[in-house]
Amino acid sequence: MRNKKSLFWLLAMLLGLSLFVAACGGEESSGTDDEQEDTTDTEDSDETSSEGGTMVFAVDSEPEGLFNWAFYGIVTDADIISLFDEGLIEYDENLKPQPNLATWETEDNKTFTFKFEEGVKWHNGDELTVHDWVFALETIAHPDYDGPRYENVKTIEGAEAYRNGEADSISGIEVIDDYTIKITFDKARVNNLTNLWAYPMNRTAFEGIEVADMSGSDPVRKNPVGLGPYKVENIVPGESVELVPFEDYWNGEPKMDKIIVKVVDRSSVLGALEKGEIDFITVHPSMGQQVEELDTADLVTYPGLSYYYVGFKLGKFDNESLEIVEKYDKYADKRLRQAMYYAINREEWIDAFFSGFGKPVNRPVPTAHWIAADDSELNTYPYDPEKAKELLDEAGYKDVNDDGWREDPDGNEFVVKFSHYDVGDPQYESRAKALTQYWNDVGLQTELEMVEVNLYYDMLENDNPEIEVFYGGWGTGTDPDPSATWKSNALWNYTRYDNPESDQLLDDALDMDVVGTSDEKRKEIYVEWQKLVNEEVPMLYITELEETVAVSKRLKGMEFDVSGWNSPVHWYIEE
Amino acid sequence: MLKYTLRRILGMIPMLFLISVVVFTLALAMPGDPFSGEIDPNNTDPEYIEEMREKLGLNDPLHIQYARWISNFVQGDFGESTRYKMEVSDLIAERLPNTVLLGATSLVITYILAFAMGMYAGRKPYTLGDHFIGGFNYFGLAIPSYIAGVFAIYIFSFQLGWIPFQGSVDITVEKGTLEYWLSRLHHVITPAIVLGLLNIASYTQFLRNDIIENSRKDFVRTARAKGTPEGKIYNRHILRNSIIPLITFLGFDIVNLVNGAIITEAIFTYPGIGQLFLNSVMNQDYPVLMTLTMMFSFLVLVGNLIADILYGVVDPRIRLD
Repeated sequence: MRNKKSLFWLLAMLLGLSLFVAACGGEESSGTDDEQEDTTDTEDSDETSSEGGTMVFAVDSEPEGLFNWAFYGIVTDADIISLFDEGLIEYDENLKPQPNLATWETEDNKTFTFKFEEGVKWHNGDELTVHDWVFALETIAHPDYDGPRYENVKTIEGAEAYRNGEADSISGIEVIDDYTIKITFDKARVNNLTNLWAYPMNRTAFEGIEVADMSGSDPVRKNPVGLGPYKVENIVPGESVELVPFEDYWNGEPKMDKIIVKVVDRSSVLGALEKGEIDFITVHPSMGQQVEELDTADLVTYPGLSYYYVGFKLGKFDNESLEIVEKYDKYADKRLRQAMYYAINREEWIDAFFSGFGKPVNRPVPTAHWIAADDSELNTYPYDPEKAKELLDEAGYKDVNDDGWREDPDGNEFVVKFSHYDVGDPQYESRAKALTQYWNDVGLQTELEMVEVNLYYDMLENDNPEIEVFYGGWGTGTDPDPSATWKSNALWNYTRYDNPESDQLLDDALDMDVVGTSDEKRKEIYVEWQKLVNEEVPMLYITELEETVAVSKRLKGMEFDVSGWNSPVHWYIEE
Repeated sequence: MLKYTLRRILGMIPMLFLISVVVFTLALAMPGDPFSGEIDPNNTDPEYIEEMREKLGLNDPLHIQYARWISNFVQGDFGESTRYKMEVSDLIAERLPNTVLLGATSLVITYILAFAMGMYAGRKPYTLGDHFIGGFNYFGLAIPSYIAGVFAIYIFSFQLGWIPFQGSVDITVEKGTLEYWLSRLHHVITPAIVLGLLNIASYTQFLRNDIIENSRKDFVRTARAKGTPEGKIYNRHILRNSIIPLITFLGFDIVNLVNGAIITEAIFTYPGIGQLFLNSVMNQDYPVLMTLTMMFSFLVLVGNLIADILYGVVDPRIRLD
């Protein structure tokens, strides 16, 4: 009797479990049924209006949830914001500013008059006026503001005084009427406009919220209010965002029923693309080939704005006085650096480690930038080990003790110490090893050290003597000015390259007295500068990578240029 | 018993204090800080970084930083996450329900499967069924959860389409409805099984071995001699004794409920405590990192205590005084 009862319980438990599992399975399949119904619906409507459908926009890392231009910190968040909000200015394929929500006029590059588009609606129904922009500028200039954007406001006249609490408003901002505003900068610069913060913030949404609390507040994290073609309907923190069309969008009619942003782990990206579960994701170049082989998605590449380099520590920087206080001799000979450049087969290296989704670059400016010097004006340092050896011999780096390695001109042991950051990806070590191999091949003994990434940048920034030759990458912005990473007084000039001529050229290119308002003139100076650093090679410019994205075959209308993707209002789904 | 519990709880305080010192020192000994690492020069500038370091007190000496942190901490102010820019307590509250659901589902599945398989295998040892269960268990023990997770997604999601491959819920369903909860369950089931795989295996084998051992004991022979039905012998006399070692695990299981599962949550992009912890380490988000570590330590201590107390409850031979 007992026995049977216990057996009964056991069976009941098993049955319960299997029911549970089955219920889940059943629920799932009903879920897919729904989806299928949805898609057939779209197909039906396709025939009539070719509109509708749900796009799944995937990101491969978790958003921080700071969904406001003024507060976001990482690219993932910025990508999501770009789906539901837009700025006063947009950038074309040459990274030149173009009017979007506002047009501007200036005579001297010091005072700008902006005219806003009339009748533009926020997602909460408010009309966009210049006051929203003033609100954004004052928020960023507020002493309690904890985001990184003050850089884009501080050039406005009086911003500094406002931030220090000496003024109640920013004196350089003058509201003329609801749609017209005059901005005066502290001085005329060629890049005042591109540097200016061009994103208004909705005033009613932030009403009653102190600036110090804004970044964690609901209008940033839970119900952001934008100006874009889609508006945020729902956010599940850390995993998904649901966007629906905004009927009152000022510039066209959004064509899809929904955009769903999903976080997808890298290990699932290919499978999800193959199954058609996601319509868009940015992929790493090394995954490019696998994406190309899929039937359900296309790989799209567009020019990127970053370059990768091998730098030489040429000196030591003092963080307090912001100047280079000491110069190192080890890599001071230009011929040594050039020889190390000739020794690298960059094409082969890029093919091997970035599946060919990159190009050798010969200057610290990506080709897509309008200031980029043409390769015909530069030394392209083609792979030439013989030339490298010649240069080394000439500079006195010869093997004097017959150990197979070159000694320095004084006859002492010479070992190139190469450091590369380590994030746990085994590929990083092999690509670094490949570089050391090139140098070994021309007789330079090279040691590789992989350093944990946080420690690496810490050491790099503080000029730790352990770092001599290092691998790195820089992104360049919409404005081409490279001062932040190249001037001798810049903390991020990691090579500590100190050349008055280079500093002078970089200053000239920003100087209104020299270049006026002419882009041509400005470009000329930058080309001059690129020739200089191409000859001096304080760093070996290795490659510029293409941006690689996977787009599902059913998603149409999405276009890319160097400034990113076009407005989501043009995207549509075609089954 | 009450005295014992109180004594243990009091004993936790110095322990937690020591843990906090060690963890704080280790966390800050990590190279860099929340503002270092790969820098996008277009998105920040050195002045801002220096200003934020000053504002957050990262330039102060270690002992001052510690004193500031601990005095806020004991007053219930866990600080603000440098990465998410929100209160740590809010952040944890946001993620905790996901993790608890995952942990609880995993626990339920683990116990049901472990009991069912363990009892069967213990009762019929060295039969085909037992070997089958044994084989399954060793498979479960041997396979790391990140492999199991990736394969589960590949097979059940991409090939068969039974389960979603990411997230904790379908964002389009309305919150609070039955559909919403079914969607939650649907999302949690696979990570829960993957998470429970190791425990299922070890609990089953534990139970099986204990049942076999107990079934050879004198009291069982006596019971058999008296003519007690087999079912009663197994389910009453043996099982009661065999459950005791499993009880010790229960304390830790409670800890697991809240700790989250770093790897499983990452693979299924399931936003829970484990994922939060991993990110806080990677981004050196000290307030989150410290609060979570303290929470985990506290729970481990509590879990231990619960296990000890439960032990006394189920095993009359153990008296806690």
